[in-house]
Order: sequence, then C-alpha cells, then structure tokens
Amino acid sequence: MRPIDIVWVGLGGGVGSVLRLWIGRVVGERYHGDFPLGTFLINVSGALLIGYLSVLFEVDWRDRYGAALNSGVLTGLLGGYTTFSSMQLGAAQLAAKKESVVAVFYLLLSVVVGILAAGLGASIARAQG
Amino acid sequence: MIKILVAVFVGGAVGAILRELFMLNVPNPADLFPLDILAANLVASFLLGFATALHSRKAVSDGVNSLMGTGIAGGLSTFSSFAYGVAVLATASAMGALVAAAYVVVSLMMGYAAVVAGLMLGTKH
Repeated sequence: MRPIDIVWVGLGGGVGSVLRLWIGRVVGERYHGDFPLGTFLINVSGALLIGYLSVLFEVDWRDRYGAALNSGVLTGLLGGYTTFSSMQLGAAQLAAKKESVVAVFYLLLSVVVGILAAGLGASIARAQG
Repeated sequence: MIKILVAVFVGGAVGAILRELFMLNVPNPADLFPLDILAANLVASFLLGFATALHSRKAVSDGVNSLMGTGIAGGLSTFSSFAYGVAVLATASAMGALVAAAYVVVSLMMGYAAVVAGLMLGTKH
C-alpha cells in the first residue's frame, strides 16, 4: 500500500459519492413512491460493476488494494458510489412510517438482487475472457 | 448547490480512505468472514443515523449533514464489496456458503440496529 494509492481511493470515493448524490436526485425527481428506488438502483448497478471489473482486473476480492486501478475504481469509485448505510437508513425510515413490511422487503430485495448482480457481472467478464 | 457538492466530494473521499484503513488494519479471521467491511458498514450506519437525526431537528446545517451523512458515512459504507464478497464466498465451498449466510444475516441485523441507535442518540429527548 503506497501513499499514492490512498490518493486514488480518496479521489474515487469523492467522485463516486457525487455520482450517488446525482443519480439519487435524478431518480427522486421522477419517482415519488415510498420504495427507496434511487439507493436500490445505485447499489444493484454498483454490485454488477464490481463483479464485472474484479474479474476483468483479475484481483482476488479480499486483496483489492495495491494497484492504482483497483484502489481508484473498486475501493474508491464503486465503494463511494454504493452505500450500505443509506440502505439501512431507508429501511429504518420506512419502519418509522409503519411500513415495516416494505422495509423488510426492501432489505431482502436489495441483498438478493445485489448478490445476483455481482455474480452476473463476474460471469459476464469470465464469458468474455 | 456547489457547497453541497464540495461537502459530498470531500466527505466521500474521507469516508473511502477510512474504509481503506479498515481493510488494512482489521484482521480477517481464518474462515474469511469479511470483518473489515462489516466494521466499516456498521460504523457508517451509526454515523448516518446520527447525522440524519441531528439534521432533522436542525442541530446541524445542510452542509454539515451532506459532509457527515451523504459524504463520510456514504463513502465509508459499501454495498458493492458486501454483495461481491457474499457472491464469492457463497460459491467457494460449503463452508464458504455458511460463512456468506452468516455475513448477510449479521450485516443486515446489526446494520439496522446501528442506524437506529444513531437516530436515537441524535434525537433530543
């Protein structure tokens, strides 16, 4: 881990977070339901991309730091773009509005579709390879 | 708007670097349970709940909320590494599938508890 890799992680994290803010707002302007659609779409698309790019970059998923590409794109950009905390906050806010069923559905759907998306991304990259 | 963008960019950068430090310093158990990502996600969930509660009672400005919540907590937490970690573990071995299942259940339940604890701590009683 070199100091320059920390810079890549920070840059990627900053850009990914602004991207998350922007996509969240674009979705929020068009969809006005209770389901946290913006965060859901962000997380699923980020999971698909990390699966695809991890195989493409040929890195072991536990050891994705070191190279600038891995630090900047996987740890920084995709880590900053996707969010686990907003998913949990969205579920807590649904539960506070007496929509506990939707909250549980949201968490389970995010996790199941997210894991499938990550696996699909990896499969696409392997099929290309 | 520019102020919010700068706050989210700076916060997201700080959060992602903090997550990298978790990845470098949290020891991973022999069963490959992703303790580093879990720890980052739990701390971030608590921080987001806390910032959101402070902001909703106007104890902090929009800018501070964007920096702490959308930025630092959002950058520190990650769904992509969580989902990909589960996908890799689950397809590795029977033991891996068990660890993956435990990782999902613990992440969801403790993450929810962390955000609720943050919301409660930030709410004036």
